[in-house]
Amino acid sequence: MSDERNALTSRITPAEEAARESRHEVLRELLGAYADRELPPETVAQIDAHLIGCAECRSALEVHDAVRTRLATERPAAPSPALRARIAAAIDAAPAPVVVQAPAPQTVPQRSIVWLAVAGWIAAVVLAIALVVQLPASRQSAGGVRPIGAPVQQVSLLGGIVDDYTRVSRGDLPGRARDLSAVRAAVSFPIEPLRAPDLRLLGAWTTDVRGEPAAVLAYRLRDRLVVQYLVAEDAFFRHPAVRTAVADRHLLTAADGARALVAWPGTSTGTVLVGDVPSEWLQSIWRSERAH
Amino acid sequence: MVSASSDPSLDLRSRFEALVVPHLDRLLAFAIRRSDSVADAEDAVQEAFVRAWLGFADLRDDGLARPWIYRILRTVLSDFREKNGRRQQLVFITRLEDAHDELIGGEHDALFSEVVARLDSEAIHRALRKIPEDFAAAVELHDIDGFKYAEIAEIVSVPIGTVMSRIARGRKLLAGAIMAERGTAAFEQSTDALAERRTSRGGAR
Repeated sequence: MSDERNALTSRITPAEEAARESRHEVLRELLGAYADRELPPETVAQIDAHLIGCAECRSALEVHDAVRTRLATERPAAPSPALRARIAAAIDAAPAPVVVQAPAPQTVPQRSIVWLAVAGWIAAVVLAIALVVQLPASRQSAGGVRPIGAPVQQVSLLGGIVDDYTRVSRGDLPGRARDLSAVRAAVSFPIEPLRAPDLRLLGAWTTDVRGEPAAVLAYRLRDRLVVQYLVAEDAFFRHPAVRTAVADRHLLTAADGARALVAWPGTSTGTVLVGDVPSEWLQSIWRSERAH
Repeated sequence: MVSASSDPSLDLRSRFEALVVPHLDRLLAFAIRRSDSVADAEDAVQEAFVRAWLGFADLRDDGLARPWIYRILRTVLSDFREKNGRRQQLVFITRLEDAHDELIGGEHDALFSEVVARLDSEAIHRALRKIPEDFAAAVELHDIDGFKYAEIAEIVSVPIGTVMSRIARGRKLLAGAIMAERGTAAFEQSTDALAERRTSRGGAR
């Protein structure tokens, strides 16, 4: 407590002193934001008034000012030309970001919505099929893609995941989102749900993919089902087609009919993401995850 | 068939060069302060730039590029820390708080600003490493990198009230860490010397 406030204690009632002390405790916690000019004017005025009679807060404010003034003089580092070159080379070697256009907002009369929804659904299906069928060819012409592996069903892990996904997507989902802690306890590798715009975790459970334990996380993405399979890294890297694709471009993409798959390695796991959606949707999730 | 994704587009690359690359120097400094070596910091920054590039299409607002790349770098540094084990040399928070309380309750507070102003970067970095990462990051993002509280809330994914609290407490702990490192005797010598100089100049308070 400050000297000024001690001196005043003899002239004020215990209730007034308690209120003053309480206000002091509250305002003391705001001194950092006060020093940084991050408080609204009415709070600033309260602190201005409090500082007049409180030496302890004045002293604490001096410490805030001293620290922030000194830290403000810290200089940026000087990146070496070698680092700049390394970064440029690493970006050159990475896949290009893919822009996924957000759907335009609907501003049409209500009675047209049903018809447009049907037409839109048809267009989306046509687009999805066209993307899956034509994407490799179009990218081939752009010079970026090289078919490098085997059909999905010939890669044991991917074939098993597609089979499991087909079974799961036809019935009720076996898990709920709050089952995540139980799933974490049941497998030997770390599990973190994916984070991306419009992606919401629906449920989690464990399963067996061709003899390999796997964690399964189901998500809703724009009213579509997307399922993530997490397996141990040794199971993930077992097939040479996976190793080659991942080593080449960091991200493996595959298609099984209209079904899209993307896969990538984690710290000690591998993720395979599958859904009846355009491959770009799944790649966008991967990019968001990498950004996080 | 299993296939791979495509090469970068030139337009995106130019935008990336304009929005993200200019922050390399400050990002590297931020990484150096929380790495064992410059080489480790450079690895983290490189990884952050690659992740930023891969997710660059998701950056809708150019004005948010700077907090966005800092958020990515923090994630990378966190991943590296998990992989390599914790590297901070934390001091008990209560000890730092006691040192701070002693400072503002004693006779040296008026000279503290002059003592802090004379500390070199090494001493500042050592003190920052002694306080918990969440507090250090909030203080550094504001005081060194110049972010507003709302931007810091976005970078570290916490409410703005938490940012306010972390900065306030972080500065107290940092002051305590500076005091603790210098030791009471050394600090008293410094402050006595400063006081003598002030007296000789006729400026003592």
